[in-house]
Amino acid sequence: MINLPESELNAAFGGSEPTVLSEPNFWRRAGHSLLHDPIAMCSFAFIALLAVVAVFAPFIAPFNPLHEFSNGLSFQGAPVAPNGHFLLGTDASGRDVLSRLIYGARVSLMVGVVATGLASLIGVVIGTVSGYVGGVTESILMRFTDMVLSFPILLFCVALIAVTGPSARNVVLVIAFAYWTYLARVVRGQVLSLKEREFVTAARTLGVGHLKIIRKHIMPHLLPTIIVYGTLGVATSILIEASLSFLGIGVPLPQASWGEMISEGQQYFQVAPWLLVAPGVVLILTVLAFNLAGDWLTDLLDPATRDMGR
Amino acid sequence: MTSPTSTTLVDVRDLNVHFRVRRGLAASRSIKAVDGVSFELSPGQTLGIAGESGSGKSTVARTLVQIIRPTGGTISLDGEVVTNLKGSRLRRYRRRMQMVYQDPYDSLDPRMMIREAIGEALAVRGLAKSQHKDEVNQLLHRVNLPASVATRYPGQLSGGQRQRVSIARALAVNPEVIICDEAVAALDVSIRAQVLNLLKDIQRDTGVGYLFISHDLSTLRFMADHVAVMYVGRIVEYGTSDEVFANPLHPYTKALISAVPSVTSRGQMRLKLSGEPPDPGNPPSGCPFHPRCPEAIDECRRERPELLMTSSGQRVACHVVSARQRKESAKGSA
Amino acid sequence: MTTELVDSVASRDAVVVVDELSVAFPSRSGSGEVVRCVSFSVKAGQRVGLVGESGSGKSLTARAIMQLIPEPGRISGGRVLVGDDLVLATGASARRWRGTTVAMITQDPLSSLNPLVRVGAQITEMLRYHRHFSRADARQRAMELLNAVGLANSKRTMRQFPSALSGGMRQRVALAIAISCNPRLLIADEPTTALDVTIQAQVLDLLERMSAENNSAVLLISHDLGVVANFCDEILVMYAGRIVESGSTERLLEHPLHPYTTALLTSVPSMTEELPERLLSIAGSPPVGGVDVVGCPFAPRCPLAQPLCSEVDPPLRALDDFAGRVACHAAGNKEWPTARPAVGVS
Repeated sequence: MINLPESELNAAFGGSEPTVLSEPNFWRRAGHSLLHDPIAMCSFAFIALLAVVAVFAPFIAPFNPLHEFSNGLSFQGAPVAPNGHFLLGTDASGRDVLSRLIYGARVSLMVGVVATGLASLIGVVIGTVSGYVGGVTESILMRFTDMVLSFPILLFCVALIAVTGPSARNVVLVIAFAYWTYLARVVRGQVLSLKEREFVTAARTLGVGHLKIIRKHIMPHLLPTIIVYGTLGVATSILIEASLSFLGIGVPLPQASWGEMISEGQQYFQVAPWLLVAPGVVLILTVLAFNLAGDWLTDLLDPATRDMGR
Repeated sequence: MTSPTSTTLVDVRDLNVHFRVRRGLAASRSIKAVDGVSFELSPGQTLGIAGESGSGKSTVARTLVQIIRPTGGTISLDGEVVTNLKGSRLRRYRRRMQMVYQDPYDSLDPRMMIREAIGEALAVRGLAKSQHKDEVNQLLHRVNLPASVATRYPGQLSGGQRQRVSIARALAVNPEVIICDEAVAALDVSIRAQVLNLLKDIQRDTGVGYLFISHDLSTLRFMADHVAVMYVGRIVEYGTSDEVFANPLHPYTKALISAVPSVTSRGQMRLKLSGEPPDPGNPPSGCPFHPRCPEAIDECRRERPELLMTSSGQRVACHVVSARQRKESAKGSA
Repeated sequence: MTTELVDSVASRDAVVVVDELSVAFPSRSGSGEVVRCVSFSVKAGQRVGLVGESGSGKSLTARAIMQLIPEPGRISGGRVLVGDDLVLATGASARRWRGTTVAMITQDPLSSLNPLVRVGAQITEMLRYHRHFSRADARQRAMELLNAVGLANSKRTMRQFPSALSGGMRQRVALAIAISCNPRLLIADEPTTALDVTIQAQVLDLLERMSAENNSAVLLISHDLGVVANFCDEILVMYAGRIVESGSTERLLEHPLHPYTTALLTSVPSMTEELPERLLSIAGSPPVGGVDVVGCPFAPRCPLAQPLCSEVDPPLRALDDFAGRVACHAAGNKEWPTARPAVGVS
């Protein structure tokens, strides 16, 4: 055995061993990519703004969203247009639109994030178990997934809420229950191929337990997919919530919700267009921001560029 | 056949790995990847398994580390029968027999730092986390890698460096046997030589036994003390490295050795082998080599030859060789 | 012009001349050259081998000849002349000579053969497009070619898809396609690396026969010195994008001039001679492609390296006593200090 001092080893190997030079650290690459993509930057900025608004709603909103102002309605009882006092006008009940919009952001984000989080949890667990264990378990789980998948989501949500009654909690549960299936299928596919990778076989040969293998070898490789689906999932969840509220079976009144505001705005469009435009625009921007951010993340985490060293 | 002595480390008897393949609603057929294979490995020695694709040599490797379950036969380690273990017994067994894989790019988790990858093995051994760092550095030193490698990711290392890390990881659990499944096949020639030298050094220092699986005969000649040549799931020749390479008896072995384009054998007449290795799911009758064999006789088509000892000490599964042996011993005694 | 070029043009029997060829990939640091000033020629009917490990640039050199360098690489210097009339090879002129004058087979025939097109159609396509055969003639010739490459049941093989064939058979089909238009030069890039040893022997044998029958020259590229030594008359050794030694196979094996060539020879265990306890090899590994190096790229690993080697890149030059060329300060220099031990040998 050659027992060379460390310095000699480094000289012998450090000098001519090909360290992959132009492969930068992941975070640096992410930062670099973000700085060069103005659209992605704007999207993330918007999401950040939304988050801040949602969290600090009580401090940011100029008024109480539930309060029906006496000066919120004109003499004829119509909503007031945007002015110096009510920046985005008022709605049919005299409530400040801007404040409702801000609190509505809270609802949307909360529902979006929690529902997606729950859906991801369920989806990852079911996907991982069926992919890793295989056999009969996999068949059963996948058939169940297929069943849920084949229900039209919105109708499904409508039916469930009709049974359970509208509330924020129920909306979250219903969306989560409808949405986990996508992630489950994707995760299963990935776990199936990851299982066959040689480093997993190597871990098994070492005697590493199954749970540890899943935790340390499989999960980290699933993370990119989960993040991407999560981002896109939030967008979808927000939309579904808005749709349910629009139909009147989402978050119950008088709590502010963008969907509900759009529903009302639709009725008064001729008279008070700001009632429709404000929540509509905000909703579009939010969904767009999440989708664009998700796109950027997908490109960043693309296995073709992600896997270091190939 | 010699009976396993008390100094035998690994003893494999009549190993069978048969896969059932279902073809629609019709009857399924059986693919005999490994069909009645027996061999021994003594401590501190290297047994080389040679063969081409479809020979079953990789299946043998995977069966020994219990990634694949054999359908028949026994495997013994240090006298203890270890076929078909489960649970904690399996976990304990796994520390004793380790494997280094062919693909240096896939056998290390790209998202795990080298220190963590080796640390995983140390955790299996039961070493306290506080001692991991030192032990990792020691193991890296053993495989001639600088300690700075510990904080790198596999993607930053070359193929040769990754294989050394894999070897370090295998050594981390203090195994008694290391199976090298085409461990150097994917490496450049000059790196290959370094890694082979390293493996030999490790064997000399630790007394670990190697099961060296390779399609590359020149590597086997250098590494192995004994060689088993496999063809379609069976061992067709078995003997010491010197015997098999200097005096190959089985026609397949002869062709295999002759086919190796070596710099030193340049310009020599080569034994040309026609045809392709048969489909393991549908092997020819009798001796599976007979359609390609230049020396085949009638019996070869009808009956499968047994692995028999010859006068020179090699074991060969060939009717022609056996017939020749019988003739010679008859002459001798006459 | 390099000497090679002058000689070849003068003797008019070269089928390809590579003149100071350089290939580079865009790089943030340095030139990104992975092939640097490579010059050689292949004469009609000759068998030349290009040997090197990873990062040596041998495959890219072959692809540069074919004008098939993968994006974002490009030819950054020098030129290639192909065919009996030494036409300048460019992306534009390629259609005229690619496949017809110069053909190539690669390591993995499954990727070079179209998996969705039957074998027969892939051969007839060549004949009908390039040589304007009629459909019937093309079919006839295709079956002849399949027979010639040893695929007995040619009628049946014609109708099969590449995925139904084994690796060795696919390589035979690739060879049939390659020689269908009687190329002057056949480039074989690691044609047998993915094949079993006995199949490798068959395919190399076939390659030898086919090239002789068609009087095609062969440029065989491999990391396996044994394969090249047994097949080629002349060998070029590449390291870090440069040719470091060239000469006849016999001379190279008996008197290797470059320390890297020697290392390649001693790294592979012999099949016949007595084996040493340890294989004589060198520490470190080939430098990663595209990185600029000062001096000789082999110096960090070379047992004969002196300070001069890390400063000046040795030129490829001919030596008095031996045919061929070598790029090494030590070669032929009788006053060069002998090998230093320790770090050099692993």
